[in-house]
Amino acid sequence: MTTQTTLPAKAGHDTATDSATKAHRMSLLNGLFELRAFIALAVLVVVFSLLSDSFLTVTNLITMTKHVAINAIIALGMLLVILKGGIDLSVGSVVGLSGVVAGELLQGLRLGFLDTIAYPPVWAVIVLCVAVGMLVGLVNGVLITRFRVAPFIATLGMLYVARGLALLISNGTTYPRLAGSPELGNTGFGFLGSGRPLGLPTSIWLMAILAAAVALVLIKSPFGRWLYATGGNDRAAELSGVPVRRVKTIVYVVAGGCAAVAGLIIASELTSAAPQAGETYELNAIAAVVIGGAALSGGRGTVRGTLVGAFVIGFLADGLVLLGVSTFWQILIKGAVIVLAVMLDQGQQRFQRRQGALASAAAATKTPSV
Amino acid sequence: MYSSIPRRQALAVVPLVSAALLLGACGSAGDGSTKNEGGKEAGGLIAIITPSADNPFFKAEADAAKAKAESLGYQTSVASHDDDPNKQSELIDTAISRKAKAIILDNAGADASIGPVRKAKDAGIPVFLIDREINATGIATAQIVSNNAQGAQLAAESFVQAMSGKGSYVELVGKESDTNAGVRSKGFTDVISQYPDMKLVAKESANWDQQEAFTKMETILQKNRNIQGVIAGNDTMALGAVAALKAAGLNGKVVVVGFDGSPDAIAAIKAGEMHATALQPAVLGAETAVEQADKFIKTGSTGAPEKQSIDCELVTKDNADQFGVFGRK
Repeated sequence: MTTQTTLPAKAGHDTATDSATKAHRMSLLNGLFELRAFIALAVLVVVFSLLSDSFLTVTNLITMTKHVAINAIIALGMLLVILKGGIDLSVGSVVGLSGVVAGELLQGLRLGFLDTIAYPPVWAVIVLCVAVGMLVGLVNGVLITRFRVAPFIATLGMLYVARGLALLISNGTTYPRLAGSPELGNTGFGFLGSGRPLGLPTSIWLMAILAAAVALVLIKSPFGRWLYATGGNDRAAELSGVPVRRVKTIVYVVAGGCAAVAGLIIASELTSAAPQAGETYELNAIAAVVIGGAALSGGRGTVRGTLVGAFVIGFLADGLVLLGVSTFWQILIKGAVIVLAVMLDQGQQRFQRRQGALASAAAATKTPSV
Repeated sequence: MYSSIPRRQALAVVPLVSAALLLGACGSAGDGSTKNEGGKEAGGLIAIITPSADNPFFKAEADAAKAKAESLGYQTSVASHDDDPNKQSELIDTAISRKAKAIILDNAGADASIGPVRKAKDAGIPVFLIDREINATGIATAQIVSNNAQGAQLAAESFVQAMSGKGSYVELVGKESDTNAGVRSKGFTDVISQYPDMKLVAKESANWDQQEAFTKMETILQKNRNIQGVIAGNDTMALGAVAALKAAGLNGKVVVVGFDGSPDAIAAIKAGEMHATALQPAVLGAETAVEQADKFIKTGSTGAPEKQSIDCELVTKDNADQFGVFGRK
């Protein structure tokens, strides 16, 4: 296994390849592969700008980014899970559950023993909802690490459990009018979805802050190294002293938390919470991570790539709406883009393998390769 | 005032109240068609099968059928098939093996449901279809559906009137593979196309979904801020559009019309955020089906044709107070 498949993508600067000119040319190609998501995004922007004059305007870019933010926030959590070599199918249901919990809390929490209705302030509602999301993630993590349930199955189970809980709590109905009322001291929930601090929607700020935090953790912290190591080869990681179980559990907790944040944003935007919100969002998040160049087998993927992946999906969807393309085509095109991304990914893998072989051949004469 | 009452409880009370009122009404209107002296000789099981209960419409339907059947002295079993024809077939098998007296079914597909309904009929169990038809006659004992075309026309007429017959508008279509989405869209077009000054600037499917309607509406507004109306294939999408209009500061300046008559839409109409909706009388349909099932069990005939349609009612600010959960109060 080459270092490139186990470290954050820094292609083109592998020290072992520097001596070989042939490998150098290939690393340029490889660089292009690395940039494919950016290229795809650039192509989308150019094409849509040519076809619709309302695409490349500041307000539209902000609106589209706001739409992207929801998927991007879920995808950041999903990225961590996928880096670990897992998958989290429950995040879409967590989106719905978090909104419903917010709805229930904002409508008043019935305290039977005190015979009163408590109206928690908005900050407490937000904290509790994120906690609920993280709790679902914790259950996922425990199922996977302690009970050795395969991630696909464990999170598929929690997909239904979380959705069922959302339906039970809400009794199947939508919570309307979450704006709160001043006399109850629970106003301000609308800020998440329609607030604009410093001129940009709150959700964009949240996406930026979360992305920066995740990127920092991945690049700078021991946790980041542990995560890439676990995803690359969890047995080897465990033998070299990585707390594999803890790492695995934490990524699901974070993914659940991210999904809960997305659920809160949606509920806030609509000022209503529906128990069926977020259905199939897990698939959009996985698509963003994959388009962003992450390997579903784990150990490879970046925050930058995932964000670009989310932008590709979001801009594509909104652009097609601007052009008035039929819904059926919208679905088909989205699918085609995902398949294309994975095909390119396979191409890149092959290139890297050949490049790796060349590099080790070149390096074998001098120093042993990594 | 609104938020001081826990919503679930408020909602739980409404069907009870409306059921009680309707029962009272039925009692007085029970003109000897079913001489129900205590209803003790009725008995038996009525199986109620609907799509997922996460939609308040189906829930209202199932609740109404259950309440009505129990008031007539039947046992009930309520289940949902989640729009999965296979699960529907299994539920019908269960009803057959439990020797149900009748099945009240909101089916999982116009073609896919023909087989299972025939299976029940062959086992001697009459099936009463509500809300959705199947593509066959002579198998189900009754098919009682709300008149989507008529409802769409009502909604569109009110829409055109509110826009004074001119201006640019957006149409949000339901899930395009769903028959009702097409029927409603056609109903809208039939009316609106008579007004040459009504200009359709965008027609998008939002899959009956609020968040999708919100996102698409925001995008459409980027292209065309000068929109005077939005007409949607259901209330959920209409409410998504309302949220997008609010975010764009266009709240109250755009005529929004929906379909279904959901409690949330009625609240939005009262608040002046939506103009109108076409209410599907789900409660009435379900109760009619149970009444006819009761009559069929006792007399061997429903006394009504197989295909029956129930007209939708237009809800606007003027009459919004008269409506409860998918029915008149």
